[in-house]
Amino acid sequence: MRIKDLEKLKNEGVESLPSDERRSFLKFGLSVTGVFLGGSVLSLTSARNAQGALGTMPKAQKFPYSPHYTMVIRQNRCIDCERCMEACVKTNHVPSYGYRTRILEQEREVGPNETERIFMPVLCNHCNRPPCVRVCPTKATFKDKKTGIVKMEYKKCIGCKTCMAACPYGARYFKEENRAVDKCNFCYDTRLSKGETETACAAACPADVRVFGDLADTSSRVYQLIHSPEKVVWVLRPETGALPNIYYMND
Amino acid sequence: MKFDYKRVTGFLSAIAFTGVLLGFAGNAVSEEYDEDTYGPEAPIVFTSPVKAVIFTHKLHTMDVGLECDSCHDEIFEMEIGSAEANGDYTMQSLYDGKYCGACHDGDTAFASDTRCTVCHIGVKGFDRMFGSPKTDSHSGGNH
Repeated sequence: MRIKDLEKLKNEGVESLPSDERRSFLKFGLSVTGVFLGGSVLSLTSARNAQGALGTMPKAQKFPYSPHYTMVIRQNRCIDCERCMEACVKTNHVPSYGYRTRILEQEREVGPNETERIFMPVLCNHCNRPPCVRVCPTKATFKDKKTGIVKMEYKKCIGCKTCMAACPYGARYFKEENRAVDKCNFCYDTRLSKGETETACAAACPADVRVFGDLADTSSRVYQLIHSPEKVVWVLRPETGALPNIYYMND
Repeated sequence: MKFDYKRVTGFLSAIAFTGVLLGFAGNAVSEEYDEDTYGPEAPIVFTSPVKAVIFTHKLHTMDVGLECDSCHDEIFEMEIGSAEANGDYTMQSLYDGKYCGACHDGDTAFASDTRCTVCHIGVKGFDRMFGSPKTDSHSGGNH
């Protein structure tokens, strides 16, 4: 059959092909876009995007930092007692109008006339590709080369607040006292550098919601939690491509 | 796109049906709340050891049918603040079968280590009920 004759054929629709069949093509990196002559002729196209949609696990890679600081938030244990916020304010001298961490509240429908309350702790995600760092004109905010913590150098900050607009997580505020933007730094200056092993918020949590640790250490609790195959783990706003380091799960 | 009439009518009749059910339920719950029979109507909000946990008498007595002496005075004393004053009003005590844990054990009622936010309304829930000093003073502030 000549190629010109093929073009005249009617596409019978990919739905007529069993999904198993289509999947076997996807495994080769091809997606079926047309079915002709009762399935004896198929049209195919490269399926790079479709591969992502399949949710294949990325290949095991080395975590880029050591220690690679991370927080796992076991969301359904949070009761909004806000002891984490109190501890943070006290430890890091956060003014009353600002915040380094917050608890968000959601009401979710779980059935007919039945809703469930969800408390969601949020903080700086210490992204591997931080949008805030990319936009800072003075390099006042930067990604710590060793730990991956997104830090501030207050004296370089000119207060343009571009980082506040760029942050997908609303994790920054302008601190009048410093004349600079302030944000969570995993208590690096106030605790970690003084030998403490966890942040003030994690230490204050009575419900073991916030688990802090080194993701590069395979024996750490954060690593174990994230790599439990039976659990669903998610991050906030993955579509931004910022590669956040705060992971969420239900216990 | 073609309109699926079958599905739409099915959906409408489902609405009508729930309407009937609600109608019946509405008639049944016309009974007035009597504090002598069912306990104080205002919800109790505990703020210690954590802020904040809500308890409603109505749900446990009128709706579920528990008697006063199901809880008083063995599990809970009636006096306000007595449970908190004991110093062991904790989740661990509940898991050990004390306080709410006497029923909330997974058999009689949902277990104490599940569905946390049914009772835990948090600081936000507390502020909604009683007003927040933080947001009140802040309203004319830095913005």
